Amino acid sequence: MLDADVEVDRREFTVRAQLRVAPGERLALFGPSGAGKTTLLEVIAGLVRPVRGRVQLGGRVLTSTEHPNIFVPPWQRRVGLLRQDPGLFPHLSVRGNLCYGPGVDPSGRELAQVADALGISELLPAMPVTLSGGQAHRVALGRLLLAHCDALLLDEPYTGLDASLRRSLTELVAELVDAREVPAMLVAHELAEAQAFAHWLAILDHGQLLQVGAPDEVVLRPASRRVAELVGYLGFVPADGPEGTVAGVHPERVTSGAHPERGMVLTGTVTGCRPSGAGWEADLAADGTTITCRLPERAAEVGGELVVTVVDPPSFGPDGAAVARPGGWYLPSGPSNPEQVTP
Amino acid sequence: MSGLASVLGALIIWLALLGPVIALLTHLSGSAIASALTGPGDLDPLYTSLASGAVTLAVLLVFCTPLAYMMARGTLPFPRVWEAGVLCSLLLPPLVIGLLLIFMVGPYTPLGELLNATPWHLSATNTFLALVIAEVYESAPYYVVGAQAAFADVDPRMEEQAALLGDRPRRVFRRVTLPLAAPGLGVALSVAWARAMGAFGAVIIIAYHPYGLPLQIYVTLQETGLASALPYALVLLVVALPLPLAAFTWSARARRRRRG
Repeated sequence: MLDADVEVDRREFTVRAQLRVAPGERLALFGPSGAGKTTLLEVIAGLVRPVRGRVQLGGRVLTSTEHPNIFVPPWQRRVGLLRQDPGLFPHLSVRGNLCYGPGVDPSGRELAQVADALGISELLPAMPVTLSGGQAHRVALGRLLLAHCDALLLDEPYTGLDASLRRSLTELVAELVDAREVPAMLVAHELAEAQAFAHWLAILDHGQLLQVGAPDEVVLRPASRRVAELVGYLGFVPADGPEGTVAGVHPERVTSGAHPERGMVLTGTVTGCRPSGAGWEADLAADGTTITCRLPERAAEVGGELVVTVVDPPSFGPDGAAVARPGGWYLPSGPSNPEQVTP
Repeated sequence: MSGLASVLGALIIWLALLGPVIALLTHLSGSAIASALTGPGDLDPLYTSLASGAVTLAVLLVFCTPLAYMMARGTLPFPRVWEAGVLCSLLLPPLVIGLLLIFMVGPYTPLGELLNATPWHLSATNTFLALVIAEVYESAPYYVVGAQAAFADVDPRMEEQAALLGDRPRRVFRRVTLPLAAPGLGVALSVAWARAMGAFGAVIIIAYHPYGLPLQIYVTLQETGLASALPYALVLLVVALPLPLAAFTWSARARRRRRG
């Protein structure tokens, strides 16, 4: 179990978070740039000291600011950190990099197995400079696995790689985490990547943990308007309730036509329309605001009228907090517990 | 065409820099070299220079490498003060350094008396030790500045990654930092070697004896004239050049291997 409850002072704000990740579980930290996601990983890895808090991994206390003050140095933590730059040692071959950790036999069976699983067996004699981005990441991952880390931290490791490579690496890491039964944390700036990887999604903004929950729950039932904005809700329209209550509109949670049994029906004027992926993205002026919706077909020309249904929109009160809508489109199962990841 | 012009421009500058060496080669004759270097003890200054240069390099490696590393990593308080301190001995004329070394390690100074009080009755003037001290002071700033740049070039995240893989700081330094900085350190060391081999200003003040090659050139020039002195300059070039050349070649290869 990886258990972190820490406070870290940064120049602009204090990062506060309490996270628990069980062995074999995968948690994704999602949030805007500069929210403090990397800082959290660095605290767990022992690269940054928190001003207050405690980090515990598999029963070992790695950091504690309470008496007795404990700070286990990075080289004794057995925590693997993979960053965007794979950080391969350029003076060592792929084999040398894989065998860098303690007790790895350069001709041993485990090295062969890991290299085989990662598809890098042919690259063992190569120097890092000759590797492609994807190959370098596989080698860096293999190096962490052979070092027998007790926890795996991934800090936007696939940025810059193409989509298919990102997907295959994400699946590979997920399989390996499952097989090794170590807790894993991923910092991601692509929501889809975070969702594909994680059992749990944690939203961090300005150093504060806003919501933790299952990836679909966080996106479909954001705990606040800010969380909704961060996970992709692009429009907010007035909704029933006290003055200032709004419903969030996610572009991908909109369907054309009036289906009042499924959600909020909006009628408006199309102010913009453009291709988006395999479908169309339309801007719709409705209820005094403009919302964006992605539809499989081009539903109307610019200037034309369009009726859409916003499926199960979450509502937010004047204070920005999510509100349940009795008799509305859904009933939240209960607020996510930002204090606890493990159910 | 512009490529050719660039090469021509570079060639002109290179030849201008090489001017003194070209002049040396055109003013030497085989008979002058033979008569200057074949007498008994004629090559002693060469051996002295090689030995003192080697000891100087060892001193720089052992004592100045950690200093350069700490300066590069910014782990020392008031980093500009440390850098200014290193640059001071670079800014002072070597002759002045020699004069000031007399105040520091001369026979009547506390340090000089301490050296004399050792069982070997050491002296930091007119001895092999004095020659090494003079060469260290003349070459150390070149090494420290070069080594600092070499260490600064090593990505701290590489060291961080090595630590996360289980290496203690000393082991990280040995397995990652040093190998990655090695090409730059090699160049810095070769520059320091060249400076040590050619050290003259401080040497003539505190280490008139034993003669190294630069002092032998000066003394021969005074006693028997230019024709007898120039062969020693050729010897200096021939023996001092291979090490920097080898270091430059090795550094270039190592960088190419890592950067593709």
